Amino acid sequence: MAQLKKQHTRSITHFFIYSMAFLILWEWLRPIPQVTNTAEIHVFVLFALLSAVLIYFRISYWIIVPVLLIASLYGVHTIFYEGSFFSLEGVLETLRLFTGEVKYNLGLIYAREFAYLTDPFRTFLLLLLLALICYLLYFWIFHTKRIFFFLFTTIIYITVLDTFTPVDASVAIVRIVVIGFFMITLLQMLKVQDEERVISGKADTFLSPTWMYTLIVMITIAIIVGIVAPKPDPQWSDPVPTIRSVVLGEDSRSGSTTKKIGYGENDEKLGGGFAQDDELVFQAEVVEPVYWRGESKNHYTGQGWVSGQFYEETNTIFEEEVEISFFEELVEVEDTIASVKMEEDVGFSHFFYPGQFKMANINTLTHQVAGEEGAVGNLTFSSDAISGRIQAHGSTQNNVTLTSYDIVYEQPTFPIETLRNISEADPEEIQMRYLQLPEELPERVTELAKEIVEGQDTRYDQVVAVEQYFSENDFIYQTTDVPVPEEGQDYVDQFLFETQLGYCDNYSTSMAVLLRTLDIPTRWVKGFTAGEWVEEIDENRYLYEVRNGNAHSWVEVYFPGVGWVPFEPTQGFDNYTEFEEEETVVDVDTAENETAEPASDPLDREDPFAPEDEEASGNLDEETASGSNKGDYLLYEWLTLKNIIISIVVAVLVVVFYQKQHYLQNKYFLVYYRVLGKDEKFVSAYQRLLWILKNEGLERAEGETLREYAKRIDKQLNSNSMGKLTKTYERVYYGDRETKGEWQTLQKEWEAIVKKMGA
Amino acid sequence: MQKQSERSVVEQPLVYKLIENIEKVVVGKGKEIELSLIALLSGGHVLLEDVPGVGKTMMVRAIARSIGGEFKRIQFTPDLLPSDVTGVSVFSQKTMEFHFRPGPVMANIVLADEINRTSPKTQAALLEALEEGSVTTDGETRIIQQPFLVMATQNPIEYGGTYPLPEAQLDRFLFKFRIGYPTKSEELEVLNRVEKQHPIETLFPVIELDELLEMKKQVKTIFVNENVKQYIINIVSETRHHPAVFLGASPRASIALMKAGQAYAFMQDRDYVIPDDIKYLAPYILQHRLILNSESKLSNASTGRVIEEVLELVGIPTGKERAQ
Repeated sequence: MAQLKKQHTRSITHFFIYSMAFLILWEWLRPIPQVTNTAEIHVFVLFALLSAVLIYFRISYWIIVPVLLIASLYGVHTIFYEGSFFSLEGVLETLRLFTGEVKYNLGLIYAREFAYLTDPFRTFLLLLLLALICYLLYFWIFHTKRIFFFLFTTIIYITVLDTFTPVDASVAIVRIVVIGFFMITLLQMLKVQDEERVISGKADTFLSPTWMYTLIVMITIAIIVGIVAPKPDPQWSDPVPTIRSVVLGEDSRSGSTTKKIGYGENDEKLGGGFAQDDELVFQAEVVEPVYWRGESKNHYTGQGWVSGQFYEETNTIFEEEVEISFFEELVEVEDTIASVKMEEDVGFSHFFYPGQFKMANINTLTHQVAGEEGAVGNLTFSSDAISGRIQAHGSTQNNVTLTSYDIVYEQPTFPIETLRNISEADPEEIQMRYLQLPEELPERVTELAKEIVEGQDTRYDQVVAVEQYFSENDFIYQTTDVPVPEEGQDYVDQFLFETQLGYCDNYSTSMAVLLRTLDIPTRWVKGFTAGEWVEEIDENRYLYEVRNGNAHSWVEVYFPGVGWVPFEPTQGFDNYTEFEEEETVVDVDTAENETAEPASDPLDREDPFAPEDEEASGNLDEETASGSNKGDYLLYEWLTLKNIIISIVVAVLVVVFYQKQHYLQNKYFLVYYRVLGKDEKFVSAYQRLLWILKNEGLERAEGETLREYAKRIDKQLNSNSMGKLTKTYERVYYGDRETKGEWQTLQKEWEAIVKKMGA
Repeated sequence: MQKQSERSVVEQPLVYKLIENIEKVVVGKGKEIELSLIALLSGGHVLLEDVPGVGKTMMVRAIARSIGGEFKRIQFTPDLLPSDVTGVSVFSQKTMEFHFRPGPVMANIVLADEINRTSPKTQAALLEALEEGSVTTDGETRIIQQPFLVMATQNPIEYGGTYPLPEAQLDRFLFKFRIGYPTKSEELEVLNRVEKQHPIETLFPVIELDELLEMKKQVKTIFVNENVKQYIINIVSETRHHPAVFLGASPRASIALMKAGQAYAFMQDRDYVIPDDIKYLAPYILQHRLILNSESKLSNASTGRVIEEVLELVGIPTGKERAQ
């Protein structure tokens, strides 16, 4: 038998499965460059391939081990060392370097300083690991004929990567599922063929066309159904933020807390959907609904926004006007007071303010340092005239959290006629900083901008045309399932021409970029919308609640002589900026309106600032499902984390029940007859045994007598229990005898067979 | 199919003794001996179809000697008359009466050699004896004493001047089987045994005739379950519906199956018949009772194959497999 088996282990089917297992191994390596700073992943793939081939051909260990060692050395050389490997000096040099490396690292290992292992040594270890895994795969396929565990871990690995890292596994998962189906089914086929060989001695291992056709058809159908079938909205709230907060200790409301530092550094890669968050950020007392400005950015990278920092000490914040000049001489401004009271646990070290910040009230400003109330006298301030960010610093390294402040700001009113009539050129400084565009920006963006503003002569009309463009065309406001641009794809280009769906970041960035292509200076502003109206405190003072969901981004456009004028391209959001004119081009919620009916803005949709949710949202694109039916995103929608988790759970259950159905049945009957078995039950127990055997594939042929059958079973199970049972059954059934105490003696035999059947 | 001559496990002590005794003479023919004894116990008769010299006569003689019964042999020739078989009434001058002089058939074990060489009339006389267990001469029916076993032989290779038994007549025999050549080692054993003295000369009865009769009575009490009867009927009726069969087995075949089954079960010291008994015996009982249609004869089908197919097809009664 062993001889026979050996002959069959090297069939074409095995080779096929082994190759597929290698492909799966490849899937493990694919995302590594993205999640770690490992380069030259092809070295690892080639090395794994070499190991797999050597192992497949069962080359003796005397050859395999040295070859793999040399190959891994070569791999390490390719990645880390200079010069040629294929010369005596090269080899010796590599060996010398590597030996030193090994010595050093072994020392580290003995000292348990695993974190300090050097990269070449780590690479070497990883290569060894790959070789071992290849051998493991070989073992799984050729000996145990089980691959499900490997596949299952692969799926978990990929889903975890997909969920918690920037790796996009939406295609990988499809590949894995297809390959996995093939592998499991073919292995099952091999197993069945093995069994057949044991039973009948007839069948040989071969690639059954019936299996293959069925398999291919089934996989195709499954994938087509998976892609085409409609997907309902998710029924659960997204579990990922909770998982992250529990497992990684990250605050799920990272949107508000991560802003102490790096408020400006997180917009480098925009895109992706995000989860809604209704956490209260601050309460504000204002005279009218206003946008709360945090800062602006001016450098567009094609993927997001970055900005340099130009802080200046501004310690006269309580006495003098801060030197930020958004508005120039042609604007009418009105000093207004606003009070902000931050929620607990919300830590911003910079101010949010409407209009243009002027000064703060020293008496009402409170802050915390490391959770403790701090003295105002310890605070120093700095302001960035470019971004408009005003930052508080403590005396120590600890971050300062501003908890409440009253500020005076300038509320501008822009005269539309003036805006229209501006003819001056932009100052050179403005042009330099605010007309920047990435070189890779697709030409069609520029062309689109020209098309939009055609017939508009003044800068103001052009800006308004661009602002209106989004609502006049079929752009869809949507916060979930907004894709991250692919490698090399421009964020704006993707939004304008491909997806046409997104949220404030998409709209504001697009508008800023479109205008820049027309040589109109723009900058990108982030902050909060007015929030929700709560109550009227006293005359002309209203309380608003601003939540995480109110995070927002918009655009400011420069007008010479006027300064920076805010515009709101995002659909459904109101620009509260006052434009003073007979013509209301932009919708204006005038102060009168608000005083008369200071209702919360019905259109004030929650629009969290994507960057604040970046860490969560950047990776959420696949996980948050939606009901949209856009063809481009079907794959994304299908591959939500929830769907995958549910599918895996269901699949595992189905597999378990399917595979273990006989086991469970057998177990049940084992217990049943152990408890209820008695002489009178002997006949039913025997008949149940026949039934169980039949289920297990040991069916009695129609013309096979019980005795012949029992002989066959006993031979196969290497027992004599069936013969004993059958003899008694014959006497009872054919001989019409009573059962007398048989059960006691035969129960063991009965159980022995059932147990051998797997119970 | 079991190997030729492989004997079943005989557990009935008397039968075992009998077989052991016969095997002193007959080498390697356990199964044939067994079948002959089944015929003896169930009151059937055997048709041996074989070439001369393979030990037919010796086996029959050994059986006769072992049971201490009377052995007669009839060599059938074309000029043999029915009265030569059954016996004849002779007028006795002394008593002035007809005396019946019993023919060779009036014995316990009769070897009817080359039965196909004689005229149908004589054959008919023998067959009556087989079927009825009695002979009729001069209008008088005479019962043949029990036990009564006729073993007829047919030479399958010579056809010139033969009167082959009509297929319908074959029905009268319980079994038809071949003895076949011994294997080389068996043949060597045969030579060794007969080298000095033929062992048949020293063979003594191991059981009394009365004991045999008692066994025959016991055989009739062997229980046959309804399901097993049904199984027999299913087999027989299936032969009637088999596409290759022109004439299927008769109800007499069913009876034969059951009775032989009882005897076989008895030999294994079992007091009930199981389907295995029937399945084992079916080929020997049914083979000569089937007539294949001309089509299947041309296509080289054999009755043996047909019966094999039938046995595979007919379900064994096992009770319900699902005891719900």
